[in-house]
Amino acid sequence: MKKKLNLAPAFFVGPHLILFLVFVVIPTIYGIYVSFTQWNLAGSPNWVGFSNYSTILFDTSSTFHTQFFNGLKNTLLFVLFTVPPLIILPLAIAVALSHKKVKGKTFIQSVLYVPGLISISASALIFTLIFNKQLGITGNVFGSTIAWATHQPYAWITIIILTIWGGVGGNMIIYRASISGVSEELYESAELDGAGSIRKFFSITLPSINFPLIFTFVMTTAGAFNVFGQPLMMTDGGPQQSTSVLMMYIRQLAFGSGESIAGMASAMAVLLGLVILVISALQYYVMNRNSN
Amino acid sequence: MKKKLGALLTGVAVTASLLAGCGSSNANDPNTITFWTPLTGDDGAYMDNLVKEYNATNPAIKVKHVVTSDMYTKISTVLSSGKGVPDLAIIHADRVPGYVKQKQLEPMTTVMQAQPELKEANFLPQAWGAGNIDGTQYTIPLDIHSNVMYYNKDLLKKYGAESFLDDHNVTIDELLSLKGKLPADEYAVNDALMGWVLLGQIQNLGGDIQQDGKPAVNTPVMKQAIEDIKKINDAGLMTPFGEDGYLMFQSGKVLFSTDGTWSSTAHAKVEGLNFGVTNVYSASADKFTNRASSHMFAMFNNEKRTDEKEKGVASFLEFIRSHSVEWAKAGQIPASKEVVESADFKNYMQSFFTSDEKEIKSLYIYTYEYYPYIAEAVDKYVGDLIRGNVPIDETLQTMQKEVEDKIAESGGAAAKTDK
Repeated sequence: MKKKLNLAPAFFVGPHLILFLVFVVIPTIYGIYVSFTQWNLAGSPNWVGFSNYSTILFDTSSTFHTQFFNGLKNTLLFVLFTVPPLIILPLAIAVALSHKKVKGKTFIQSVLYVPGLISISASALIFTLIFNKQLGITGNVFGSTIAWATHQPYAWITIIILTIWGGVGGNMIIYRASISGVSEELYESAELDGAGSIRKFFSITLPSINFPLIFTFVMTTAGAFNVFGQPLMMTDGGPQQSTSVLMMYIRQLAFGSGESIAGMASAMAVLLGLVILVISALQYYVMNRNSN
Repeated sequence: MKKKLGALLTGVAVTASLLAGCGSSNANDPNTITFWTPLTGDDGAYMDNLVKEYNATNPAIKVKHVVTSDMYTKISTVLSSGKGVPDLAIIHADRVPGYVKQKQLEPMTTVMQAQPELKEANFLPQAWGAGNIDGTQYTIPLDIHSNVMYYNKDLLKKYGAESFLDDHNVTIDELLSLKGKLPADEYAVNDALMGWVLLGQIQNLGGDIQQDGKPAVNTPVMKQAIEDIKKINDAGLMTPFGEDGYLMFQSGKVLFSTDGTWSSTAHAKVEGLNFGVTNVYSASADKFTNRASSHMFAMFNNEKRTDEKEKGVASFLEFIRSHSVEWAKAGQIPASKEVVESADFKNYMQSFFTSDEKEIKSLYIYTYEYYPYIAEAVDKYVGDLIRGNVPIDETLQTMQKEVEDKIAESGGAAAKTDK
């Protein structure tokens, strides 16, 4: 019998594949190409080899070197400040909500999830007002006399609070779903063996939701490296560029008000991409090895 | 089998049409002038009114106003692909030299030929001049929007500061004379649009931001200007760093507010705020400057723009030239002399800045090719500089280097000679 050509898989995968090619693969390849050039978005890119990379990485007198490392430092700080709470808090909430005696679970879940649906710029406006000395709650109710956005560590605190407020819900939903998939029998037999709730959490819950944990950890970290909106809206990178994250520099170089410096911006973006890639791979490797 | 193939093709067609939908669908409609503006605020609505009024005159080709957020990024995208380029756009004066250098703007020559009243003599000189590069006119100005200083009439009276306004030049020394006279929660001036204020002082002190085409940020004049403004801060007369000085002015806690022409509409809505407008304070007793910019009509390169369309653009711009008093409602100063000299315009607060030659001259537009890089550096550091949070000399060096590095990277000739 003649083998029939089965087009069904292509039909399902096809549209995604086309979109993936057009919006991800081609721009990425072009972006990497641009990082080896000097380009102002008009005209044709001028090939300069590794010059952009060597300027960024090794030319300590260059503005781009300073900007890259200051941006990377601040981005790393943001990752360190926000990723652990964005894993631990949702996990704690999910575990608490899985307790039988908790009432209004759906309501609590919705309240925590809704902020994630609001755009970053809208939520940043809300929080700017909350932290506004004249109009805001911090000044009027709590009597704070600080201009939050222009003084450290308060500038970081506003950014972190906004990020956690918006980010807790997403991970919590994932943990809730996976915890509810853990067999009740495991908990019952553990109870019979005399295990307390802490022991149950570490010996049953955590190992059972291993994969969702790795997934959320990697995704949250990668997302945090791409931070842009929160510091831009809350502090505009200040005070003294201490909250200027790498994406802000990249954006200003490529799409600032002057002639575009797209080649240098692309090189910074590729380097940031590499950092994310290496860290994600490490996270995945370490967590996967530990779980086995 | 055929069915499957059909389904597959349909899928591909649907996806392709979705992607095609991303482009601007009627950019090449021969009977419509697609007009992009970055006017995402209230001013967009006033421009809508002007476009509607124009279309109501039944022109041969109607105008379609598209408020485009992040317009400059989109412009670079459509220019590289050559598809969906708007027929007409509004750009800021600072952008003109860059676009001209990259050969992305079409001169207004044919437009000016079609409507002879679109000529230098009919517009405010600096607005017209900002669109003229090496003798070629690339833009027709819509307005001048400028840094101005609002004042709270009641507070000025209360503290006997009305005399500051006598010669229309509020000097820094006059502001400093208020030291010790204000209660703890009131301030002489706020820090809104500080970058523009600083760039205005450069002119007041006889300096510039360029020398022989090279950027001049780290200069004695710049240092002087920063130190002069810093005196106001050091005397405790400036609203504290990071606080909402704009709001503090509206709530009657600040005597003077350096801001933009466009804020007058918002101030007018505040109940009980009795305010007027004057020139931005000056470090010099002889000169005052209001750093300004201009919204300008420009045509980006587009082979598909027909001669008829260019004529349509010309008649639209001529309509704007004679009807842009509507634009004054947005708080802006129309660039058309006919409008600013009309009786109607005198009812608007900003007509103060066109009341005499000296005022008109005070509206200063920087036209240096690399102004945007300098403005970026100034905006980034000015807050910390005037608050004394960073050392001035060192920071000016950093700023100078930042601008030079950007110029070098953008392939400019200026830094090549430096290296």
